[in-house]
Amino acid sequence: MSPGAIDQLLAGITGLTWQSIVMFAVAGVLLYLAIARDYEPLLLVPIASGAILANLPLSPVVGEDGLLSILYAAGVENELFPVLIFIGIGAMTDFGPLLENPRLVLLGAAGQFGIFGVLLVALLLGFTRAESASIGVIGAIDGPTSIYVSGQLAPHLLGPITVAAYSYMALVPVILPPIMRALTSQSERRIRMQPAGRVVSRRTRILFPIGTTLLVGTLVPFATPLVGSLMLGNLLRESQVVQRLTGAASNELANVVTLFLGLAIGSTMIGTSFLAASTLAILALGILAFGLDAAAGIVFAKLLNRASGGTFNPLIGAAGISAFPMAARVVQRVAQTEDFENFPLMHAMGANAAGQVASTVAGGVLLALVAGAGG
Amino acid sequence: MDDLAFGVQVSALGLGLVFGLLAFLWLLLTLASRLEPRQRVAEVAPAGIEIRAADGEAEIEPTLVAAIAVAVSQHVELRRRQAAPAMRTYWPGSLMFASRWVAAGRMRQSQSWRRRRS
Repeated sequence: MSPGAIDQLLAGITGLTWQSIVMFAVAGVLLYLAIARDYEPLLLVPIASGAILANLPLSPVVGEDGLLSILYAAGVENELFPVLIFIGIGAMTDFGPLLENPRLVLLGAAGQFGIFGVLLVALLLGFTRAESASIGVIGAIDGPTSIYVSGQLAPHLLGPITVAAYSYMALVPVILPPIMRALTSQSERRIRMQPAGRVVSRRTRILFPIGTTLLVGTLVPFATPLVGSLMLGNLLRESQVVQRLTGAASNELANVVTLFLGLAIGSTMIGTSFLAASTLAILALGILAFGLDAAAGIVFAKLLNRASGGTFNPLIGAAGISAFPMAARVVQRVAQTEDFENFPLMHAMGANAAGQVASTVAGGVLLALVAGAGG
Repeated sequence: MDDLAFGVQVSALGLGLVFGLLAFLWLLLTLASRLEPRQRVAEVAPAGIEIRAADGEAEIEPTLVAAIAVAVSQHVELRRRQAAPAMRTYWPGSLMFASRWVAAGRMRQSQSWRRRRS
């Protein structure tokens, strides 16, 4: 047998690098979180699988005509997948709690503080303007928004930013409670809020996605793909006349695109580029963005509590992020550990739904300001 | 320094825009809710139901009746949670008879495998 044939046979083993071995370990951690801990398994399993496939020696799934590269070019490079996912999210989201209590929409705005706070910190650390904005957008705590914005501003950071965004979304039940307890007193956590007690008509539910699209699309055109697709999905749901489309958007479409998106993102986690000091910095800045979001939401809710004469539970502020409905469930759980018969869940759901709208708006605003300035 | 000034500008403008837009949305939603015919969630005890006392008894306030109903249902729920004998649906000794704790134990025994987390 010729030495060339032996080399060919051993190409896999000789092509193994320490970076790929580390990446297998990283993928193993993501799989552990997804399978054993049940943290965002829908995305972490495909992402980890994509990372394993991409880091195999001489992997034919990446590179020209590779399966994962085709998926990346088809849906991530041109921002198609995140936008399609938003249609599914819109079809699954009930904005009713927000419509019952419209002032909660402001908590969604407060929950975006981390984006801009971390943008400043990233600039101080020496990242470029576009990179800093992309890192800041992890603070939207919204995977598709992070992918959409960073894909346009800093595509080379897409891998670590997406992993940070989805990992922290998965860790909402771990990250939020200590911040909530640190910033609120026991008496504040025990505040019982009265239910809004208002029935939202079908007309309002239908007008909400249309009006929001028109408003945001006109004032911030950069946000149109995000807000427009989110509201399109919601209009399908609330119109109640296209149940097949609603079902397809929230099940088949969302599931298929989630799989493809996860695999394509995983394929960007190639050891040689992923294992850099900047990745660690991005992960650290991501968690800072998350913390700032929660803290700003709680502080703003405290102001609302003061303005309402002590009838507003500040814990609700922590739900003003986009991780829906996990953040609202965490608020309910923390409130109930103090007072078993306290049920702020619907108010928290309203703030959480506001966080979804606000994160897409913030993503669009950031794109407009940074890309518009030639970031 | 230029970058930092840019960052401060983007942050101030960005947060201002997000707040402004959402405040405008709040205004629109509030206006929409004002234009809606006021429709409240139905009361638990609908008005107009006449509660009559038994002969020879004093009149009972509807709110008192509601309070008694809530107390009874809570008491039943508590007894059910305690798996009290009074709440048995099946005769003791039958296969169907078991408190929740016993039923949970049987279920665990009959499982051929157990997840690591449990």
